[in-house]
Amino acid sequence: MNSALERKTLAGESARNGISQSVRAKLSLETRALLWALMLGAVSLGGALLMATPIQKISTWPFFTGGASSPAAVSPQLLAQGAGFYAQSCGDCHGDDAHGDEGPDLHNLAISDARIASQIKNGTKGEMPSFRKKYDDPQVAALVAYVRSLH
Amino acid sequence: MSIDPTLWPKLHGASTHFPVALAMAAALFDGLSALVPASSPRKAQLRAAGYFTIILGALGTFPAVLSGLFMTKGRVLGHDAELFHHLFVWPAFALLVGLGAWRALVGDKASPRGFAIYLAVLFLTAGLMAGAGYWGGELILNS
Repeated sequence: MNSALERKTLAGESARNGISQSVRAKLSLETRALLWALMLGAVSLGGALLMATPIQKISTWPFFTGGASSPAAVSPQLLAQGAGFYAQSCGDCHGDDAHGDEGPDLHNLAISDARIASQIKNGTKGEMPSFRKKYDDPQVAALVAYVRSLH
Repeated sequence: MSIDPTLWPKLHGASTHFPVALAMAAALFDGLSALVPASSPRKAQLRAAGYFTIILGALGTFPAVLSGLFMTKGRVLGHDAELFHHLFVWPAFALLVGLGAWRALVGDKASPRGFAIYLAVLFLTAGLMAGAGYWGGELILNS
């Protein structure tokens, strides 16, 4: 009778120990996974932010700027002319420093020269006026060159 | 020889929707799995769908972030809509990678408590991804 009771007690303890070990193992796995998750999340974020500086540098290479539209290929006279047009017609909405005001920031635009020229000439209904009548194509090209030079 | 400057916006547009959609799908599948009774076979199916979508979503963040960095020429914050976009993007990126890593390692062995915490962080991340997508759309509309 006593030995049967002892066996039952031991079996109960063994089962409890088994459950306890299983819970510990689960917590351990989750904790280890959490540490990996924190490390990979931090490394990915840190890596991306660290890559920003070299990407800034290589983005100025002619290979990445599309060659002809790189600031180096544009004459200072054209840029000065574009800056004048900008101050006259664009600064009120896009900000004197072109960092945006009512209109968006114009630095590092990730759109083609043709798209910038089209935006200047056609505008956007209800948001930006058309400058087709005010500036001819060479003047729009000067504005595009100026906007493209903003980094 | 040079590349088309519009390549990066195109690549960013092509790659960025995958992690956004997959993070939201993972939140949907895992959220539904929490509502389904444990006895239902649907629970395991939803958990499996949540498992693969979060891992693919985490992997999908890398091309999206890389093309975005090239598109902005390495600008990590910016101004106006771009600033808001980035304020949502960076925490969402770190969280999504972390969630994908956690889920890949734990698999279907998560405790109820661990899974509940995972689910809460997943919903937060899906919300951040939605915010990043919204401000990304504002950037396109305003440029």
